[in-house]
Amino acid sequence: MSEQARMQQLRGPTGFTGVAGRRAMVTGAHTLLVALALFVTVFPLLWVFLGSFKLPADVMRLPPVLVFTPTIDNYLIVLRERFTFFFWNSVFVTCGSVIMTIMLGVPASYGLSRFRIPLKKTIMLLILGVRFAPYIIFALPLFLVMSELGVVGNRNALTFVYIIINLPVVIWLMRAFFDDIPVELDEAAEIDGASRFRAFLTILVPCAAPGIATVTILSFIFAWNEYLFALILSGRDAQTLTVGLTRFLGGMEDAIRWGQLSAWAIAIVAPVIIVSLLVNRQLRRGFSGAAS
Amino acid sequence: MRRDTRDAFFYIGPSMIVLMIIAAVPLAVALGTSVTNWDLHRPEAREFVGLDNYIRLFRDDRFTSSIAVTIAFTTVSVGVSMVGGFVLALMTQRNFPLKNVVRALLTIPMITTPVVSATMFRVFFMDPDRGLLNWFLGVLGISGPAWVASWPWAFVAICAVQTWFMTPFVFLISDASMASLPQSVFDAAKMDGATYRQRVVRLVLPMLRDPLIFAAIFRITIDYRMFDTIYVLTRGGPARYTEVLSVWVYNRALRSFDIGYANAGSVVMAVIVAAVCLLLVLYNYRKREIS
Repeated sequence: MSEQARMQQLRGPTGFTGVAGRRAMVTGAHTLLVALALFVTVFPLLWVFLGSFKLPADVMRLPPVLVFTPTIDNYLIVLRERFTFFFWNSVFVTCGSVIMTIMLGVPASYGLSRFRIPLKKTIMLLILGVRFAPYIIFALPLFLVMSELGVVGNRNALTFVYIIINLPVVIWLMRAFFDDIPVELDEAAEIDGASRFRAFLTILVPCAAPGIATVTILSFIFAWNEYLFALILSGRDAQTLTVGLTRFLGGMEDAIRWGQLSAWAIAIVAPVIIVSLLVNRQLRRGFSGAAS
Repeated sequence: MRRDTRDAFFYIGPSMIVLMIIAAVPLAVALGTSVTNWDLHRPEAREFVGLDNYIRLFRDDRFTSSIAVTIAFTTVSVGVSMVGGFVLALMTQRNFPLKNVVRALLTIPMITTPVVSATMFRVFFMDPDRGLLNWFLGVLGISGPAWVASWPWAFVAICAVQTWFMTPFVFLISDASMASLPQSVFDAAKMDGATYRQRVVRLVLPMLRDPLIFAAIFRITIDYRMFDTIYVLTRGGPARYTEVLSVWVYNRALRSFDIGYANAGSVVMAVIVAAVCLLLVLYNYRKREIS
C-alpha cells in the first residue's frame, strides 16, 4: 500500500470519515461547543461592559457597533448622580452584616460542634429551614414591624436584618469544619491551663481560618447581591446599589440613560467578579460545600 | 463532648437570639396578621377574620395559578440547568488550551448579581425593538416576539435567565465530583471497548448520583423562592403568567396593600418550606441507612 493510500484510508474517502478524520471532527466539535458555552456565559456581561464606555448614540444602535469612540462620561455622570450614596449604603450594609454574621456564626458553629445540647438536631434543622425559606416570608412582616418602630430606611436596621441571609449558611458550613478538627486539640490547650474560650480564640479559630475565609467571601457575595430585603426595607435613606439600578428601568424611553445603566451595572458586578476570579479555588470549594 | 449547657449558651445564645428576632418574630407576625383583614388602604378597619384569608387563597385562581407557575418555572430551569451543567462539566474533562481560565470564566454567571443580569437581559437582549436577540433573529429572517411582555415568551425569558444564572453551579458541582473519580475505571472500560456514551451513562452518571441529587435539591430550593430575576424582568406579568409565589406575595402586599391576605400566602409558602426540609431530612436518613 502506498503512503498516499494509507493516508487516504486513515482520513476516509471524504477526509472526515476515517479514524484521524473522526478524531479531528470530535476535537473540532468539542472546541466549537466550549467556545459557544463561553460565548453565552461571558458575552452578555462583556456587552454591558462595552456599552458602559459608549456614547449615547452608540449604545443601542443596530446593527451593534463593535468599534466606537470610548468615553468615560457614563461613569462620570453616574458618579454625579448620587452613586456614592448608594455605594456607601451597599458597602456599609454588606460589610456590617458580614462582620456580625461571622462574629455570631463562628462561635455558634463551634458550640454546636463541641457541646452536648438538648434538641441540637432540631436547632440545626430550624436553622436549615431559615436558610431554605423564601425571603419574602420574612421581609414582609419585617417591613410591618419596622414601620411600626419607624426604622424602615434605617441603615443599621437593614444591616441587622441582612444577617439572616448568611448566618444559617455560616453555621452549617463552619460546624462541619469544626467537626473535622480533632477534639484533642481543645483538650490539650485546656490541660495547658487555658480557659475554654481562650482555647477557642487562640487555637480553634486559627485552625479554622481557611474555612472562615471561605464563608466570609461567600457571605460577602450573597449580601452584596441581595435585592429583596433592600427593596422592601431600605426606604429612602438606606437604598443599596441593586435598588439604585432598578431606578433606571422606570424611564427607559430616555435613550441617554442606557450608557449610565451599563456603568451602574458594571460598578455592582465588578467587585464581585474580581474577588471571585482572585479566589476562584476557594470559592469553588465554598459553593460545593454550600450545596451539601 | 461536654455537658455544660450554660457554657454552650455563651457560644450559641447570641446567634439564637438574633435569629429569633429576624426570623421567628417575623413568622409569628405573618401568622398573626394572616387571620386579619389588614389592608393598608384602611388600616383602622383591622379585624380578626379567622381562616377567611386561607379559604379565599384556595378559591383564588390567581394564587393557585401562581403555585402552578412556580412549579413549572422550577421544573424547567432546574431540569435544563442540570443537563446543561453536567454536559458542560463533561466537556471540560478533556484537555484544551487555557482550560483553567475557561473553567473560572464559566462560573461567572453564578456570582453575578441577579438584579444586574435580569436588567441586562431585559434591556440589552430582550427589548423587542432594540434588543440584540430580536436583531439577530431579524437577520435570520425571523420576527422576534416581545420577550418579557407576551405569553409564552415571558415565561421562556425567566426560565432562560435563571438557567443562565444557575447552570454554572451545576457545572461546578459536577466538575468537582468528576475530578475525584478514579481514572483507572475509565481506562479499563475503554480497554474493554466501551464507547464514550456507555462510559458516561453506565459509569459517570451512577458514580455522580449523590452529588447530582444534592445539586438538584439545592437548585430547587433556590428556584422555588426566586424573586429578584423575575420581578426585574416581568414583575409577574404579562397578566399573571410569570407570577411565582414570592412575586405574588409582594404584589398583594406592596401593590394591592392587602397585608392580611398576602401574609396568609406567606404562611402557605412557609408550610411548603417545612415540607421541603422534611424531604431533605428523609433523604438524608435513607442515605445513611443505605451506607
